[in-house]
Amino acid sequence: MKIVAWFGRLTISENGKVEECNLLAKDPELLAAHMLLAAGSEDLPPYGLNLRELAIDCGYVELEEDYDVLLRDVCIRAAKRQISMNDADDKRIIQAVEAMDDIDKAANELSERLTEWYGVHFPELDLTGESMARFVVNFGSRENVPENHDMYEKSSTSMGSKLSPLEEDLLRNFATSLCGIYDTRKYLEQYIISNMDIVAPNLTNIAGAPLGARLISLAGGLEKLAFFPSSTVQVIGANNALFKHLKSRAPSPKHGVIFNHPLIKGAPWWQRGKIARALASKISLAVRMDVYRGKFDPSIKEKLERKVESIRKSYPKPPKKFSTKITPPGPRKARNRSSKRV
Amino acid sequence: MKIEQLSDGIFEVIVDDKKILVTHNLCPGHSVYGERLIVVDGVEYRQWDPNRSKLSAMVLKGFDIPIEYDSHVLYLGAASGTTVSHISDILTDGLIYAVEFSSRTMRDLIMLCEQRPNVIPIFADANKPRSYAHIVEKVDVIFQDVAQPNQAEIAALNSKYFLEDEGHLMLSIKSRSIDAVSNPKKVFKEEVKKLEGAFGIEFEILQRKELDPFHEDHLGVLARLFVDENLKQQNSFKS
Ligand SMILES: C[S@@+](CC[C@H](N)C(=O)[O-])C[C@H]1O[C@@H](n2cnc3c(N)ncnc32)[C@H](O)[C@@H]1O
Repeated sequence: MKIVAWFGRLTISENGKVEECNLLAKDPELLAAHMLLAAGSEDLPPYGLNLRELAIDCGYVELEEDYDVLLRDVCIRAAKRQISMNDADDKRIIQAVEAMDDIDKAANELSERLTEWYGVHFPELDLTGESMARFVVNFGSRENVPENHDMYEKSSTSMGSKLSPLEEDLLRNFATSLCGIYDTRKYLEQYIISNMDIVAPNLTNIAGAPLGARLISLAGGLEKLAFFPSSTVQVIGANNALFKHLKSRAPSPKHGVIFNHPLIKGAPWWQRGKIARALASKISLAVRMDVYRGKFDPSIKEKLERKVESIRKSYPKPPKKFSTKITPPGPRKARNRSSKRV
Repeated sequence: MKIEQLSDGIFEVIVDDKKILVTHNLCPGHSVYGERLIVVDGVEYRQWDPNRSKLSAMVLKGFDIPIEYDSHVLYLGAASGTTVSHISDILTDGLIYAVEFSSRTMRDLIMLCEQRPNVIPIFADANKPRSYAHIVEKVDVIFQDVAQPNQAEIAALNSKYFLEDEGHLMLSIKSRSIDAVSNPKKVFKEEVKKLEGAFGIEFEILQRKELDPFHEDHLGVLARLFVDENLKQQNSFKS
């Protein structure tokens, strides 16, 4: 079994003896950097090992004391590095969210181009986006689609024009770049999910990682988000409308990004405004907890759930004037939609 | 002044007719969190306040503390190191791995580590023991005080990775972190039951007591990793 330890890479036999080792130089700064990188490695030990014995076995240190002294020094350095990274963690989240937007824009454009171009050759192919790009990378020309493939039928009877080898090469290359972009998007998403838990555990618990990250990004930072009153949190992301509201006191827009939260999306329309208000207020609370206390408090979410439950119970039916009559086809009376809906 | 040792490195002295718990100060002259320093027969001790530390409360509640001079301890939820500092006092020939994941408290913990050669800080999430499996070795005792809804699971996961056969787990369970509305007794019962086997690992519960009046709605648990002797023998035949 190959494993990574803080002092190097080892291959160990079934009975736990070192078979091969690749030891790192005893430079504490370098070891600290390696320690942090290794925390994301696939070769982390799958169960606890007696690392101290292994280190002595392979001659990395002579005495147990040397092991302790070096390990402690490295851990302190590693923890310091982590803290200095952590201080700017919300800035990293913002970068990642914005990078994701850039990627979506780029991916859309490139995939449209690919669809159009490859469509000349294989117009019957009804794939889009990532699956389209993967298809082109795999097969290139439609003549290479194997018989057992879903698209075989379509590809062998296609009306599209033939691809020259040069063009096939080009398109494949293009599609490969596009797939790379889709992969990066997945990494970014993963990065956001795993870091949101550390940067803002309470916010993440309430809003979920993607929405929480989006809020931090729109607000310009975790602390800034903490300063917003919850009425503002409710409308963050309703871009132009929000600025108008802030500047000129125009009526406030109601649909900020928090409307993407499953609690609101899954609710009937007449409850949404009320749930949005409850959600915004708990998000504010959670963010303040993250910024000022740094402690995880699961009770915020429980309170939110109870509040939403009581909204559901209190307003099971749409308000009367919308529900009792099914409006017959024909001219409708104009009505002021915004006045009663909260 | 009369001083009496309760278990390795843990003492009781009587000051002004009051019994107080102390540990032998590993860094003489330094108080970590404002606790009182007391000199008995020329040796300096630090007062160990049961209201500030779950472990201190457990000592006073009569738990048999499994920490010895030369134990290796894994501490989950170290915060700024209040309790960690006292364990560090006890471990004159041992070592403590202190895991914490909030950067605010980690800063204080690192400063503590710099003063105390037997404390190793680890900035990590205790939910993910694999992310520090390249750092932490097998230990004799795991102490956990994380105040999280999945406390039992975190304890079990870490024990699977790092606890020696028949090693001890000391756990402080905060009922309100798990369920803010139910009766604490009920929550405790369920959590302890989980320890007895819900996570593919079994503990023998040695002692369990609530930590009041020092900490309301907290249960202290002392457990030993249960090792199936038959299974162990089979394995040793194989190798
Ligand atoms: C009640 S405090 C611990 C106090 C400390 N044991 C003492 O007596 O000095 C709980 C600590 O656990 C930390 N914590 C919570 N969940 C954690 C996790 N999953 N991994 C690491 N630390 C965690 C919190 O950041 C907090 O500092």
